[in-house]
Amino acid sequence: MNMAASRSGRGALWVAFWLLVVFLYAPILILIIFSFNDRELVSFPWEGFTTRWYHEFLANETILKALKTSAWIAAGASAVTTALAIPASIALSRRRFFGKGLVSGFLLAPLVVPLVVLGTAMLILFNYLGFPFGPLTLIIGHVIIALPFAILTIVPRLDRIPVALEEAGRDLGANWWTTFRTITFPLLAPAVLSAYLISFTISFDEIVLASFIAGSTTTFPVYVYSQLRLPTQLPQMPAVAAVVLVVSTIVVSLAEIVRARADRALDSVERVADEPAAEVVGVEV
Amino acid sequence: MNEGPAITIRNVSKFFGDVVAVDDVSLEIPEGEFLTLLGPSGCGKTTTMRMIAGFEEPSGGSILLRGTDVVGIPPHKREVNMCFQHYALFPHMTVGENIAYGLKLKKVPRDERARRVDEMLELVGLSGYGARKPGQLSGGQQQRIALARALVNRPAALLLDEPLGALDVKLRLQMRLELKRIQHELGTTFVFVTHDQEEALSMSDRIAVMNQGHIDQLGEPRQVYQHPETPFVADFVGVLNALEVRIDALEGADALMRVGDRDRIVVPTAETGVSVGATALVAVRPERVEVLRDGEEPDGAGSRLRGTVAQVVYLGTLTQFHIDTVLGKRLIAHRLSDDRAGEIAQGDEITLTWAREDASILHTSD
Amino acid sequence: MATTGLTSRRRRRPSGGASSWGIVAAPLTWVIVFFVTPVIMIAIYSVGGISGLSPNDIEEWTITPWKDFTTSPVYMGGLNPLGSGLFWKSIRMSTIVSFTSLVLAYPIAYLLAMLAGKRKYTLLLIIIVPFLTSYLLRVLAWRVLLNPQGVINTFLVDTVGILNGPIPWLFNSSFSIYLVLSYVWVPFVALPIFVTLEGIDEHLLEASSDLGASRWKIFRTVTLPLSMPGVIAGFIFVFIPTIGEFITPQLVGGPGGFMFGSAIQSAFSFGLDWQFGSAMAMFLVFTVAILLAIFGRYLNVRSVAG
Repeated sequence: MNMAASRSGRGALWVAFWLLVVFLYAPILILIIFSFNDRELVSFPWEGFTTRWYHEFLANETILKALKTSAWIAAGASAVTTALAIPASIALSRRRFFGKGLVSGFLLAPLVVPLVVLGTAMLILFNYLGFPFGPLTLIIGHVIIALPFAILTIVPRLDRIPVALEEAGRDLGANWWTTFRTITFPLLAPAVLSAYLISFTISFDEIVLASFIAGSTTTFPVYVYSQLRLPTQLPQMPAVAAVVLVVSTIVVSLAEIVRARADRALDSVERVADEPAAEVVGVEV
Repeated sequence: MNEGPAITIRNVSKFFGDVVAVDDVSLEIPEGEFLTLLGPSGCGKTTTMRMIAGFEEPSGGSILLRGTDVVGIPPHKREVNMCFQHYALFPHMTVGENIAYGLKLKKVPRDERARRVDEMLELVGLSGYGARKPGQLSGGQQQRIALARALVNRPAALLLDEPLGALDVKLRLQMRLELKRIQHELGTTFVFVTHDQEEALSMSDRIAVMNQGHIDQLGEPRQVYQHPETPFVADFVGVLNALEVRIDALEGADALMRVGDRDRIVVPTAETGVSVGATALVAVRPERVEVLRDGEEPDGAGSRLRGTVAQVVYLGTLTQFHIDTVLGKRLIAHRLSDDRAGEIAQGDEITLTWAREDASILHTSD
Repeated sequence: MATTGLTSRRRRRPSGGASSWGIVAAPLTWVIVFFVTPVIMIAIYSVGGISGLSPNDIEEWTITPWKDFTTSPVYMGGLNPLGSGLFWKSIRMSTIVSFTSLVLAYPIAYLLAMLAGKRKYTLLLIIIVPFLTSYLLRVLAWRVLLNPQGVINTFLVDTVGILNGPIPWLFNSSFSIYLVLSYVWVPFVALPIFVTLEGIDEHLLEASSDLGASRWKIFRTVTLPLSMPGVIAGFIFVFIPTIGEFITPQLVGGPGGFMFGSAIQSAFSFGLDWQFGSAMAMFLVFTVAILLAIFGRYLNVRSVAG
């Protein structure tokens, strides 16, 4: 007999679950469906199936340019984020050192600071320094926001890699770099990929910081935002949105599945419970 | 062939803050020896081994590998290799790649690498397993691969950190024999860390019994078992009877306590310097204590002590007798479970006896 | 008895190699230069310590921006949480959105953690994935649904004909703001609750039942209290960012969707009163700091990362 819920209770919860799933996905699905509606306004009635909005958006230079800009910035920001997140995660997961709580607080604090404050802060900073606003300032800002997520993706994976493996490598003659290259990194790779993809998504979609420090650069969210503030949007918008949403859903899902599968593979080799490899990374604020 | 010891540990200490993990330990391990560091959790045996490997640096003292001081030299540059407690096989590499890892780092050419890997696989009895992944192997097989991975580098010494702990009993017994065989075949110095005294006794050339950071006794297994030098060693290694005895007289090389009109305890004084009137802690192993039934008389000049059988415990090979003696102390006697053993029952009046040389003095006080 | 203090389960640090500070230097420097310093700069700027960044800057140390902000009826409106001050309006928005998200997320987290068995991670993924896709595009999707000429209204009015005109409160209202924001945050809130519930030893439930508690009682006296750390963590993780939220309110909230965050943003764009905007931003930082001081201990990062 299940202590957590009665038969009817469980039934009700499952209904609630699927209702929530519908709630979460319906707006997206409806948007996708109506992106095929041969009608300029996104509304009823249904006037026939068409792919013209897709053709139109693929011919729309402005939209394509915005997508490309965002893609480049996201690629750059994710690369920097991942490159910084790996040493940060190693330090937080494997090492004890003076001031560790404070350091982890600094690295993870952007998670809890409202974006509007971050935007303001960087606007002031770059203005004060006379640093021109554009793709670079956006990359810098996006790294700050994405870094905590990247660290939170890599640290759990690192915790699962027993320290003994690295010691074995060093015992067999590998210095710290070779150990990292041949042992730690290959095992860390799924989490690194996941971190990259999460950072990419965060940067690609980011609007608040962009509204402060993008300068004249039109990222995709900046473009969408400007569109949404008009009384009527371009009829291509649902098509564009549909493509971006579907692609990002697939990418994110794949990243998660790959990561989960890799975790299970690692667990199967740890037959006996090993020493815990790390301390808790607490947000000490 | 190298002269001189494989490993020399000289006055090595290790502190973690206020905590003394290893306390002024000195030890010389000759080439080819199977030496075991034996002791309970926290006695410093693992820390000592990790200092030899280079994963910890001593707070004081020096460590020499084949005559060269290695303090300050990182692990990857030391000529020792370690077999880790949970094997630490690289899950993303095949068995063959695992074993070849150290060779590759030493830039051993591919052909020779392959040959030595095959040699090792054969040595540990797992020929043909080269292409498998560690995840596909059983615990015992993983153990042997971990061994192969370390030994293929022909280290000056192999350090084994409680390697058999995760295996089940039957496999463990098998592996003990395997390890001995391999060690003999290769002639490599083995430094073995364990808390299991049976393992230590069965495999070692010498045992260093460690307690709270220092070595309580260093010697051959038989010596350590039969003649423990401290109460800790006596208690940790094997089951022990310990009796507090007041010395009544000294006769030649022996100390004597008279018990009543017929019984006595005789123990060699060795070099303990006891005097009449002092109290000594005397130890004797249960299997050396013979149980004589009513009417039987002990022969010889050894100890004798009467008592009543409090409990009989049947352990299969052995039968264990718990005796309430006339001294007021309970002693344990072991006997192979033969017919005689079967005849002794709870409540019987019996006499215990043991030879003088089977007892030793652990401790004296005036 | 003197202890050596070592058990075989002591965590082993790799020795040698690069020092810890060396490893963390690059990310830490980045964060200090581009995050910590700028936030400090806001504070200094808001009291005139820095100037010359915008035309309206006061050139010397001053508390004018703060005075203007805290005494203004528009922005603060005194200390009345139910008043019209923008700050309090945003607090109310945050509170409602956080509560709604929690209420919607809790049953689902409960189901997955306690009852879903082997499928729970897959189902959790289904819930989380929307959160990881585009925020702005999901807001777009809701605009398209809610606006007077949008999907819902044209369906009810034109296609089915059960209404004469579009539902007024469906768009450009507080309702639409709360709805869309809750929609955005529900997946995120589910995660810490799930992790906490998952960690509850089922033997506790069995023990409680054995001692005579009904299922509902078990939930109320055992499960719910034990899940509170996750609930509070989830609440805080939504509450704090939402105080500064301005994008969604502007896009679906109409003229009434002007929030504290909107005020900050417009101070830096249209208003060109940057020091004033900085004072407001700093005020937000203090609010967040106070909230974290009170609730920070629930933010064990492991409970969110799972």
